[in-house]
Amino acid sequence: MATDPQAGKPASAEGPGEARRLGFLSGRAGWAATAVALLFFIALPAQLYGSQQRTLAAAFMFVALAQGWNLIGGFAGYPSFGNVVFFGLGGYTTAILMAKAGASFYVALPAAALVGLGFALLMGVPVLRLRGHYFAIATLGVAEGVREVVLNLDGLTGGGSGLTVPAVGIEATTSYPGNAGFYYMFLALAVLATAVVLWVSRSRFGYGLRAIAQDEDAAAAMGIDTTRAKIGAFALAGVITSLAGAMYAFQQVTIYPARLFDVQFTLLMVVMAVIGGSGTVVGPVLGALGLTFLSEYLRNNLTDYHTLVFGLIIVVAVILLPQGLVRFVREGWRTRRFSLLDNVRAYRL
Amino acid sequence: MTEFLQSTIYGLLQGGLLALVAVGFSLVWGVMNVVNLAHGTFVVLGAYVAWQLNKSAGVDPFLGMFAAAACLFVAGYAVHMLLINQVIKAPIWMTLLLTFGLELVLINAMVLVFSGDFRSINTGWAGDAIALGDVRIPYGRLAGFLVAVGLTLALVLFMSRTRLGLAIKATGMDRDAARLMGIPARRVYATTFAIAAAMAGAAGAIVGTVGTFSPASAPAFTLQSFVIAVLGGLGNMWGALAGGLVLGLVQSWGGQYLSGTLVNALAFGVLVAVLIVRPAGLIGKPYYEARVET
Amino acid sequence: MALCALAFTAGCGKEESGGAVKGDTLKLGAALSLTGQLAREGELTKEGYELCKSTINGKGGVKVGDKSYKIAIAYRDDKSEPDTAGQLVDRFNDKGIKLVLGPYGSSSTEAAAAVIEKNKQVMVEGAGADDKIFEKGYTQTFAVLSPATQYAASMVKATAELAQPKPKTAVFLTADDGFSKTVTEGGEAEAKKQGIKVLATESFPEGATDVSSALTKIRGKNADLILGSVHLEEGIAIIKQSAELGVKPAGAFGETVAPPTSDFVKTLGDSAEGVLGSTQWVPQVKGEDKYFGTAADYAKAFEAKYKRDPEYHNAEATAACLALALGLEKAGSTDTQKVRDSVAGLDEETFFGPIDFNKQGENEAKPMSVIQIQGGKAVTVWPKEQAESELKWPAG
Repeated sequence: MATDPQAGKPASAEGPGEARRLGFLSGRAGWAATAVALLFFIALPAQLYGSQQRTLAAAFMFVALAQGWNLIGGFAGYPSFGNVVFFGLGGYTTAILMAKAGASFYVALPAAALVGLGFALLMGVPVLRLRGHYFAIATLGVAEGVREVVLNLDGLTGGGSGLTVPAVGIEATTSYPGNAGFYYMFLALAVLATAVVLWVSRSRFGYGLRAIAQDEDAAAAMGIDTTRAKIGAFALAGVITSLAGAMYAFQQVTIYPARLFDVQFTLLMVVMAVIGGSGTVVGPVLGALGLTFLSEYLRNNLTDYHTLVFGLIIVVAVILLPQGLVRFVREGWRTRRFSLLDNVRAYRL
Repeated sequence: MTEFLQSTIYGLLQGGLLALVAVGFSLVWGVMNVVNLAHGTFVVLGAYVAWQLNKSAGVDPFLGMFAAAACLFVAGYAVHMLLINQVIKAPIWMTLLLTFGLELVLINAMVLVFSGDFRSINTGWAGDAIALGDVRIPYGRLAGFLVAVGLTLALVLFMSRTRLGLAIKATGMDRDAARLMGIPARRVYATTFAIAAAMAGAAGAIVGTVGTFSPASAPAFTLQSFVIAVLGGLGNMWGALAGGLVLGLVQSWGGQYLSGTLVNALAFGVLVAVLIVRPAGLIGKPYYEARVET
Repeated sequence: MALCALAFTAGCGKEESGGAVKGDTLKLGAALSLTGQLAREGELTKEGYELCKSTINGKGGVKVGDKSYKIAIAYRDDKSEPDTAGQLVDRFNDKGIKLVLGPYGSSSTEAAAAVIEKNKQVMVEGAGADDKIFEKGYTQTFAVLSPATQYAASMVKATAELAQPKPKTAVFLTADDGFSKTVTEGGEAEAKKQGIKVLATESFPEGATDVSSALTKIRGKNADLILGSVHLEEGIAIIKQSAELGVKPAGAFGETVAPPTSDFVKTLGDSAEGVLGSTQWVPQVKGEDKYFGTAADYAKAFEAKYKRDPEYHNAEATAACLALALGLEKAGSTDTQKVRDSVAGLDEETFFGPIDFNKQGENEAKPMSVIQIQGGKAVTVWPKEQAESELKWPAG
């Protein structure tokens, strides 16, 4: 790998300059399109069935998760395979506070964010010293380990029996928002997460992250405090992800460790961010929305084979679009040449 | 005292088998810098091959093991040439995602073909045990342990004494330099992947005899392989063996002296601790440490 | 992209609007684990529902008032994920499908029950036994199967009643998931009632294939009864590794769930001899209903359709579907609340045994059956009116 300088490097995250070079969807046009999309999503629930609102809520949740991953994996170039640990910790913090301390959801929510922040700092300091695959495996190990610990602390968390948030009836500390309520909650989170990523991409902080992703030692030599930058990105990812977990726990009412710390969440958020375009602002949004709908569609129409087909699609997408959809479209637009096979030729031996 | 001995012996036997499961995974990671999330599915596929042979033709799984290894060798070669090779030069998470998709496809294909039922391969003799006082050493696990050690030894010899083995090591160290030397890197990679799959398949045949398996068992094997590969140092065959034994002992002792449900937490705790303190693994070799990670 | 989103969601909406009744077909919803960890049991549940559908439709359909409806069942895959099960039930509600057949497993059933309660649908299930589901004050969910607390307790009762000499000590081996823990609690309580001393309770992770630590810990205790609150995987592991490690109970092994399945004997061969198991249904169950006849008739009908013997998962699924059908007939209307009230008031004898729900929606009236593996077959030994053979004690 040492003699292959271009290979294995994450494609550089976009910055303000790159956005200007786009020629479409930049500047005013971009903001207008975003505003239209937002209005559309705000008006949409009135037209939808409850279960469709639920599907979209899930899609928005994945937008937030993917954007969270995007910060640490896309911008900083540190592929975390354990982000679900924040999801689970946020969820369990919320459930424990609501079920055992009678707290309102709106008190538990910031608590969950604090827990996410705290754990990101705690975990980040030792683990961010590792690089590449080692970092990925360490984060995976932490996530799995925390799940097992939560499973074993069954006095506090209910362990394998699960924990139920008092959401209905007289015991409820907060009224249950219902499908439409959660739709808006997750939409707000998705918008927040995307806004954070947008801010990062245009800031010096983001510039520093991109430098780290390209060549960390050179970045340090240039005077960037790489440790603080990495931990900052990780902390942001942690907060966003634990907020998502908190909302999810409330929505599900009864949560189990196996579900809230499921590695499937991590894998899905990585797939969505990468196929959409890691290191971009819009990429994870497209990836999350697109893959959620794809998964729903497959499941409704191909009941027996849907997971198999979903896996096949991931395999094909990774081979044909390794740099993600957004970059593919951008590069293609710029060079007026859209060729999937070019991608394959670039990365094969 | 007998509890401790029993626990230790069981842990070692289990550990040897775990090492065989993980050695291919470690090899592929060390040489090709590919993390194969579908590794566990190869193990389960090997188990199914042996199971099918046992069911239709009454073949003892320790013989069926060779058939499983052969089938998986071919399958592994094909998977590499058709799929992994397409993203071999891409950022690391590409192969992670690719193999994740492949894992989904393979597990569900197995469910469709074999159904989700749990299987186990029955032999008359595997359940019996040698008894040394109160401590019992089950035949099946003992045989599995010996096979695991034997295969690992064979692999080590292969890697250090044959041209192909040396080619693999060379390509692992520096792919472009190896190609300049005339080594066909793509085919070497494919062979490495195939060998890894074959070892996994053989392990699967044994695992299927001493325990149960189903398509849903695959991810657990992959996870265990992660832990062992890291413990032992990537690409290091002896390290995989050592890592497996350590994991087996830790889990056995942990289950014995702490609550049984903490077994998994322990495994991950060990993993994270080793990564933070000594990422090169317990038997990390200098030249693997020196490889530049991109 | 926004247009695509609209297209998809609109497309989804167009699928099946207009409610569950179309012409003379009544559509029921079933979210099942057709893929994922519980795929096998989900498939068994589907077979049970299908047999119910074909049998009832074959006899002219469900008579609701003066109209007969053919049953149709819309299946959706919940991937063995509880939140997906909840979401699918929600979707059924949007499409006007108010009558739902339960998913497989306590976690998915619990998730679905929460949604059913919120939407005021009605669910009858046969695969979610955890008592916790029914301690929440839900009124819309009914379980035809015996609750989880009975799984191990029934074996304790059986051996206390039948075994000579009566067992004095027991150990429990339990997986750490909620259902298994509830089972163990029930078993321990029953043991106390029967004067049997519980020497130890060892836990291990759900899905473990290596239970050697737990077994080594109990080896020296020489308990009369070794009871496992486990699923199939761990159940097989316990017997296999007990043989390896030389762990033998003075009386017998007992395991919930695992021994009655065909895989258990097939996988373990001779080591399975003498193991007790508890099951929701055996072909010796007493009771008869107008659609399926006796339990033996059910077994015959199942064999004719699927070319193998039914397992209790099949029977409990069919029973759930049957209970819903009987409720519809009693209500004389497809109005959801009326159906709910009729189901709640059912007091029937069926091929599955008695169906009579208590205030929480559990079928307390039905006892579990205890089997023992004798001669390679699962033979019913308790309760007395179902027994095919004597309990073999000591078992091994």
